[in-house]
Amino acid sequence: MKAYAQPIKRLISELSKLPGIGEKTATRLANHILKAQDEDVRKLAESIIDVKKKIKLCRTCLNLTEADVCHICHDKSRDQGIICVVEEPDAMAAIEESGGYHGTYHVLHGALAPLDGVGPENLHLNELMKRINGGGIKEVIIATNPDVHGEATALLIIKMLKGKNIKVTRIATGVPMGGDLKYVDKMTLSKSLEFRRGM
Amino acid sequence: MTRESFKTDAFILRCLNYSESDLIVTFYSSEFGKLRGIAKGAKRSKKRFANVFEPFSLTKIIFSRHRPDALAFIEACEIIDHYPDIRTDLEKTLVASYFADLTDNFSPEGKVNIKVFELLQNFLLLLGKEKATEATLRFFELRLLKVTGFEPALDHCAQCKIPLTNGNAYYFYPREGGIKCFACARPERYEEPLSAGAVRTLLLGKTMDLDKIKTVSLSGALAAECREMLVSFITHLLGKEIKSMKVMEQIRRMGLP
Ligand SMILES: [Zn+2]
Ligand SMILES: [Zn+2]
Repeated sequence: MKAYAQPIKRLISELSKLPGIGEKTATRLANHILKAQDEDVRKLAESIIDVKKKIKLCRTCLNLTEADVCHICHDKSRDQGIICVVEEPDAMAAIEESGGYHGTYHVLHGALAPLDGVGPENLHLNELMKRINGGGIKEVIIATNPDVHGEATALLIIKMLKGKNIKVTRIATGVPMGGDLKYVDKMTLSKSLEFRRGM
Repeated sequence: MTRESFKTDAFILRCLNYSESDLIVTFYSSEFGKLRGIAKGAKRSKKRFANVFEPFSLTKIIFSRHRPDALAFIEACEIIDHYPDIRTDLEKTLVASYFADLTDNFSPEGKVNIKVFELLQNFLLLLGKEKATEATLRFFELRLLKVTGFEPALDHCAQCKIPLTNGNAYYFYPREGGIKCFACARPERYEEPLSAGAVRTLLLGKTMDLDKIKTVSLSGALAAECREMLVSFITHLLGKEIKSMKVMEQIRRMGLP
């Protein structure tokens, strides 16, 4: 990287901060950007700035959205009485792509991770309880990852919902233990939702 | 250059996302003490590491490294015990996480201490079988302090050396790692005493048979005294709060069924 002029070095160093991008790839990307049309480069830069400026969390489910309320919470054809609780937006996206689910979501933006100091106060559990206490919810499907953190989060939510007269289900196995929903294939994911079990 | 490979049983203490696909895992191994290694592709590959990196799991690992103090390269890792009875219980999961957290914090890398490994193994087995109680927590703390060389002196007053006497009140001094009797301590009004009963319970817990621990009912004021003493000592020794303890307390404060 030494051979490059300062602005290129800076771009390479910024790009290598991205996940999965090493210095080699960053250098290739930087060179590509350097050769690209001005217009294309401007669009890329703007879209990066835009995403940070415009994307916020849905007031209801904390999904990423441009509006106050996301398109799923807005969609009256979806069953607004079912909430599927996920750890991250990418798990939600994976379930959406599997195509078999027609309820709503709640994105926690994390999972209980005691060793990392992530406790209930760091997750969006209060928002979930508020939704449930607001009435109209008949089922909560817990679709946190099947690893220690996801399981602990599921156990916590089950305890929080005890005595609330709501059907609580957990996505079925088939999703491998220790796995991450976003890497599970569509078929397995749609089956695991279909065969969710009561808690 | 071919590197020599080593094989050992090891508990997973902590996993850190290193990149999109790699993990840095901290182990406590029976033969090498605490060691840190990189697991390439751990977050994605289903073949090489089939979801094995989970806190407090017992595993068998094969690793290599350039030097004893270098980051190990994890070549293979297979599960010996996932502790399903712990993982399906929130309280037990929190306690087991705390055990792993404490073990990590009290273990310098590369120092072999089979007693630490055995302690963790014994207490995880116990936790799988029995309810997670205050006694389980306190006795683990106490025994870990003991095997790592930080055992508090509880059987006599640190100053006048008079042995622990029933009915008396004592004061614990984290800096000195011991208790003092009322006469020697000359406590300020805000200092909370530690009853001789609490100290006795802790002394018992240090050596008591594992299967007897379930018979110890540590609750109410006695539990609070023991907790305060050990947690303040641990916080003092480490110079920080233990994260998993904070999470455990957050959840307890929620007062869930
Ligand atoms: Zn929404
Ligand atoms: Zn004294």
